[in-house]
Amino acid sequence: MTAEQEIKPAPSLAPSSDWKARLFDRAPFLVACLMLLIIVAIYGSLQHGVFSLEELNLDTTATLTLLLAATGQTIVLIRGGIDLSIGGMVSLGTVIAATRFGGDPGSVLLWSGIILALGFGVGALNGLLISVLKLQPFLITLATWSILSGTALMILPTDGGQVPGFWSGFGSAEFLGLASPVWLLVALLAFWFWFRNTRLGISIQATGSNEKSAFLSGVSLTRINVITYGLSGLFAAAAALYLTTQTGAGSPTIGKDYILPSVAAAVIGGVSLFGGRGSLAGTVIGAFILTIIGNLVFVLHISSYWQPVASGAILLLAVLASSVAEKTSRGEE
Amino acid sequence: MSQFLSRNRLIVLAYVAMVALLLITALFSPGFLSESNLRSTVVLAAFVGIVGLGQTFVIIGGGIDLSLPWVLNCAAIIMTLLANGQDVPLLWVAPLVLAGGAAIGLVNGIGVAAFGVPPIIMTLAANVILQGLILVYTGGSPTPSAPPLIQFLAVGRLGPLPVIAFIWAVLALIAWVLLSKAAFGRHLYALGTSAKVAEFSGVPTLRTTILTYTISGLTAALGGMLLTGYSGQAYLGMGDPYLFTSIAAVAIGGASILGGSGHYIGTIAGALVLTILGGLLPALNLSSGALLVVYGAVILLTVSLGSETVAGLGGLLLGRGRKRDGS
Repeated sequence: MTAEQEIKPAPSLAPSSDWKARLFDRAPFLVACLMLLIIVAIYGSLQHGVFSLEELNLDTTATLTLLLAATGQTIVLIRGGIDLSIGGMVSLGTVIAATRFGGDPGSVLLWSGIILALGFGVGALNGLLISVLKLQPFLITLATWSILSGTALMILPTDGGQVPGFWSGFGSAEFLGLASPVWLLVALLAFWFWFRNTRLGISIQATGSNEKSAFLSGVSLTRINVITYGLSGLFAAAAALYLTTQTGAGSPTIGKDYILPSVAAAVIGGVSLFGGRGSLAGTVIGAFILTIIGNLVFVLHISSYWQPVASGAILLLAVLASSVAEKTSRGEE
Repeated sequence: MSQFLSRNRLIVLAYVAMVALLLITALFSPGFLSESNLRSTVVLAAFVGIVGLGQTFVIIGGGIDLSLPWVLNCAAIIMTLLANGQDVPLLWVAPLVLAGGAAIGLVNGIGVAAFGVPPIIMTLAANVILQGLILVYTGGSPTPSAPPLIQFLAVGRLGPLPVIAFIWAVLALIAWVLLSKAAFGRHLYALGTSAKVAEFSGVPTLRTTILTYTISGLTAALGGMLLTGYSGQAYLGMGDPYLFTSIAAVAIGGASILGGSGHYIGTIAGALVLTILGGLLPALNLSSGALLVVYGAVILLTVSLGSETVAGLGGLLLGRGRKRDGS
């Protein structure tokens, strides 16, 4: 344990004392903020009442499933990995909730706990397999994605099931004029700003930045992988639970719609696909960009099928920008 | 001979697994070894095998192609729409669609090789973008039925053998020449083993990588066109199963997903194993969900067989070091 304290929390590629380097580090996040401002401005000029609490409530309610899934993905990406299995976990979570909740609050609480524990457990298993078998994360999580999707299909072959009324009323509950999803968002950010400065958070970032040096300074890679992927599974399960409050039912195939967007939200917000860099604050911005693009598509009366095209294109632009930046920063070294 | 066996241990294992599975299935459903059933197994395996050809090349080169489902789906839809149930338009439609598939692969390859985008992200994004574009294009409405010629190629027969078996055999021959006889194959194995070393030893890594994804786009488009002949028409989501099966077929065939090893000969066995498994499960009253679980488990199992940890463990258990394996 004492060895872990020796890790320096300065994992960026360039020395952070240099203001240029610091700006370079933050640049993707700042670009994302600017992008969000522009998109919101366009949206506001096309639609009345965009700059209101009600709009904030609506957009947050719409974004939160993606954001929860993307939170886990952000942690995994910062570790330098990727988690494709959230596609299966989100499906499985909604399916279990919709078939097992019943109407009794006690049973709802119990099964919510089971779903979250399952999410963490499956994720931890991903992490363990990645470490023990020394295989690429995408491969292990691709296999578990398939297994989890199949399990979801066996439990509920088509969309259906039901959650109790009080559960689906969660999103519309308000406190101080803000809907409960907004409070969840605040809680999520508070968690993040606490988590990233814990020893664990620092170790995850250090491992993503340079696995070898993190290992040499005493970080157990197996432990880091188990926790990182465990958290990703946990947040995917949370996303599933939140999703059922929105849809009121389970879907064995819905999860795959969150795999790419979860990566996209993080990368657009400045999380590096190569590990070591990024923040949940960026992911939040990225998730809102994706949601408001969806709103724009709606307001402009364009076919809703354009939305994934736009998201995919923006993701590729963000990735291109970050890999070109990564290449140049490596070349300068 | 013994050297061939030891070097291609995993490929031999895949064929042994295939034969064993065939016998087990025959035990559970006695009609399985009938001529017509074997023929339909080969037809279904051919689709996995054709789509898996490109995936094999990409994986040997150290990448992965997750854009196959919607490249396949787009090719199927565009071909049936443009050909409109007629054979004659295929003269220009087929080359156009194949070129389109190759072009998408080319874009994937350029993104990966020239711009350093991780293969998973590049190809997953391409998949989502294609899905959106084809939905915009068709509005989700159904397509005309497949032209008769395509139907003949997919389900027709030449004597006792299905036509598609000949197509598959020709493709397999081309793949074998490319991998085992051509400079491209040597470059590809070098690239998959270590991109850095390959680069320094003068392998044209950029061109080789781009070419693998282009081949992958091409074979996915070909698979999509032929698949419409089997199902009668194109429909949305028809490519989705091929994401897992194409990767699983390559993994079962003994290619290391880390790149640098494997052969299309192995993928052929992988495609047959998966198809026989797919036929076995309904006989055991298992659903399509169970099939996905099995695919996932198979991928997990076969890749762990190839992992250093398990190989080292196996060596220990057998009481011999890894050095003697090569002799």
